Amino acid sequence: MEKNHKYPPKYLLILFRWFCHPDFVEDIEGDLLERFEYKRGEKGLSRARWFFFLEILKLLRPGLIRPLFRTNSILPNAMIKNYIKIAFRNMVRHKAFSVLNVAGLSVGIACSILIMIYVQNELSYDKYNEKYERTYRVLGAYGNPSVPSSFEYQVWGCAPVGPALKQEFPQVEDVFRFTSAEPWLIATGDKKFQEENIVFADSTAFDVFSWKMMKGNPETALVRPNTIVFTESLAKKYFGDENPVGQTVIMENKDPFEVTGVMEDIPSNSHFSFDAMISMSTFQSRRPSVFTTWDYVDFYTYFTIKPETDIASIISQIPQVLENHAGNAKNYYNFQIEPVSDAYLYSDALRQPGPTGSLSNIYMFLTVAVFVLLIACINFMNLSTARAVERAKEVAIRKVIGSFRTTLIAQFLIESMVIVLLSGILALFTVILSVPFLEVISGKELSVEWLMSPQFIGIFIGGILLVGILSGSYPALVLSNFKPAKVLKGAFKTSSSGTLLRQSLVVVQFALSIILLVGTTVVFTQLDFIRNYELGYDSQQMLVVDYGWDPKVQKHLKYIKNELLKNEHVEAVAASRAVPGFFFPDAGTKIENEQGEMIMRSPAIYEIDDDFIPTYKMEIVAGRNFSRDFPADSANSLIVNEAAAKLYGYPNPEDIIGKQFDQWNRTGHVVGVVKDFNYVSLHDRIEPLSLRYSTAETTSMLSLRLKSNDISKALASIDSQWQELVPQRPMVSYFLDQNFNDQYEADDRFGSVFSVFSGIAMFIACLGLLGLTIYSTAQRAKEIGIRKVLGASVGQIVRLLSMSFVKLFLIALCVAVPLSWYVMNEWLQNFAYSISIGWGVFAMAAMITLVVSLITMSFKTVSVAVANPVKSLKDE
Amino acid sequence: MGRTNFLGEFEELILTVVLILNDDAYGNTIVSAIKEHQNREVNLSSVHITLYRLEEKGFLQSDMGGATQARGGRRKRYFRITNAGKALLQEMKDARTSLWELTPQLKFSHE
Repeated sequence: MEKNHKYPPKYLLILFRWFCHPDFVEDIEGDLLERFEYKRGEKGLSRARWFFFLEILKLLRPGLIRPLFRTNSILPNAMIKNYIKIAFRNMVRHKAFSVLNVAGLSVGIACSILIMIYVQNELSYDKYNEKYERTYRVLGAYGNPSVPSSFEYQVWGCAPVGPALKQEFPQVEDVFRFTSAEPWLIATGDKKFQEENIVFADSTAFDVFSWKMMKGNPETALVRPNTIVFTESLAKKYFGDENPVGQTVIMENKDPFEVTGVMEDIPSNSHFSFDAMISMSTFQSRRPSVFTTWDYVDFYTYFTIKPETDIASIISQIPQVLENHAGNAKNYYNFQIEPVSDAYLYSDALRQPGPTGSLSNIYMFLTVAVFVLLIACINFMNLSTARAVERAKEVAIRKVIGSFRTTLIAQFLIESMVIVLLSGILALFTVILSVPFLEVISGKELSVEWLMSPQFIGIFIGGILLVGILSGSYPALVLSNFKPAKVLKGAFKTSSSGTLLRQSLVVVQFALSIILLVGTTVVFTQLDFIRNYELGYDSQQMLVVDYGWDPKVQKHLKYIKNELLKNEHVEAVAASRAVPGFFFPDAGTKIENEQGEMIMRSPAIYEIDDDFIPTYKMEIVAGRNFSRDFPADSANSLIVNEAAAKLYGYPNPEDIIGKQFDQWNRTGHVVGVVKDFNYVSLHDRIEPLSLRYSTAETTSMLSLRLKSNDISKALASIDSQWQELVPQRPMVSYFLDQNFNDQYEADDRFGSVFSVFSGIAMFIACLGLLGLTIYSTAQRAKEIGIRKVLGASVGQIVRLLSMSFVKLFLIALCVAVPLSWYVMNEWLQNFAYSISIGWGVFAMAAMITLVVSLITMSFKTVSVAVANPVKSLKDE
Repeated sequence: MGRTNFLGEFEELILTVVLILNDDAYGNTIVSAIKEHQNREVNLSSVHITLYRLEEKGFLQSDMGGATQARGGRRKRYFRITNAGKALLQEMKDARTSLWELTPQLKFSHE
């Protein structure tokens, strides 16, 4: 033999021998080697190897490759037809197994599809925009440049940054700004409502976002001051079927606005939403100074760049923009640019314009989908291997007659494919029927159209093939491996070979079920925990009336408060700019530190009157509340919370009392420290907060603590009183605890979706367990008969049959507990205030699983144990 | 199965080359013969597939033999033309000749 390196690559030869038709291997291989020798002599080794590689590739053609099945004599089509026929006959013969199989699989597949629809919807956010790929938004932050961590970026920013970008960069196509939603009183004819979700918006709205204008001219609708564009549903509310364009509505009881357009409702998969847009020029004519200062925060800025331009060139020149445009603000202001494709799922900026999605929830759901499908596949595998004995004879006979192992594998794979395909079709119907249900529990508008897309059809067919092969491969390999002589001699009685695998699969199934159950329990315990958490104030029976900065209410605030106090149902009344759970701004605030320097920080701000703290039953830990006994309070006093005291360097709240402050054109001394209370959701820690004495013009809400338990009577009485006091404005009210808990809506939804799918997973696992029990009791019918004859009681037999499962269950528990503990601890990291997972959770999940499984098994075990032994022993 | 008596251009070429090479017709010699006589590069894989097809149709027959060092000890598959193959080639040649006879006499003009 010559030295190896002169030969062609060995792996190529191995590959060739594998794919080539066995009849032709020798002579073609000889020819190849001969040509390789020749080429090597002529062109050198490396060229020859390359040539050899190409030759082998060219040999990959239908006439020369090994046939898939060794069916030389019988047409493969006919055999496949036969396999399908056998598959159906088998299904009909074993109805119980078929029903269990198909039910489990179809529910499993349906669940996965539903979860995919949900995930698809989450991923589809904002993609309806034609310029999606080149739309960006500005994130701004104020802080100390020498401390980079002091910059906390938020979407909500100042007005001039957008126009500055447009002016600086020719690549910037359009800039669109809108403000945070504000309540507006809108009236037309006899209709008058307070609308909560109205924004000021630039006239470029329709250039940046692909919202469709139904009536009116998108180019000019938002140009003039005092114009408003309604969404379709709002237009219907006020104008019915009339054409609103050109009509006039009265805003806030005084300003006539012209309706210049009607647009489609904002798509549900948009990361922000509003009901109407008022032209930005309206805002500008009222408060022009806002549009030039870099310190006033009220704008969300979005912009598109021209096609085939690069955002990186803009990002790299941000310092330049600040230098040229921001003036003094460049010393404490900075901004970043974020693609709109990151807005819904990938943004960690603060002050988002709408609810954001959670990537970790998506992963959770996908995990659940995989679990459910896996459990369904395991069912199928277990049931088919368990039945292997019954089919051993069939396999043996087929082999004797001349079937190859490959054709048997093909037969069993086709059989599993038939069942999976059937389940898949059933699953599709289930999905179409249950999408509305999923919409309810997830609170999202889900589109079934996706089911018609090539993408889905591809996934579906691929999934069916995958599940078919996954769940059919093990039975196919096991069954096709039987030795015909052994089977036909009768030496083959039990399928002990598959027992270990079957048991491990059951362990996996129940471990998965327990994990899901622990997950559900933890989610619900946590949700319960945050709802009942001691917030630091009394949120019970607190009615909040939002009068939307109504100047008439502000003017007569004292009188209105006094009148409301006279109501027999009202215990206390306070006025403020914001209440817990509602929107509030941040304020740049300087407070003297221990060294006597004034430090600039940006805590949140509440503007309250002197009744606010007592009405909410908050605790003052140092100093005092605002008081009418100190008339100067309204001009030069400030209260902070404990977190703010710490922020300015006073771990002991007593020490901040009497220090100087400078905030929003007001200077004076800190007079009190209030105990930390949760004014935002418990996902976040309590942040520093300053409480400032409000003037009447800076309030927009009244908080009423109700006395009586008869809420409806109290509401009616307050409402009629309000009609007298404030005839110009309908009363808009919420209960504080309800509104505060609305922040957890997304969590609630997550909890309910999660629990539904966990329940289904459990159900499928039980189906499988039932199938296995039916099978194993049938196998042991004679044993049970003999035991009964020898005097075993029903209870003993049921225990005997259940014990084998209990063992498996205990192993599953050992696997599931640490895994689920780890995963759920990760999830709890989402909350600043969370439960610790105790043993109770695991005990509960384990108990539920065990009890449900034993009940499921008892359907069969009891009937077998009760049965007359004569029946099982009489024949043979 | 009337089409079995029909040969494609490439099949006819291969069949003819096998006839020419007489006792030494196997994959590689056929490729080089075509290169030599027709100056045409053909794929080894297409030669093999055509050979097997012609054998299946009964115009060729093959036997194994002649392992050499250069072939790593692999035997060659020698092809020989069958009587049916010869008859078919003859038939095709005759058919073509009779067709040619029907064409008008070509006159070459001289300048």
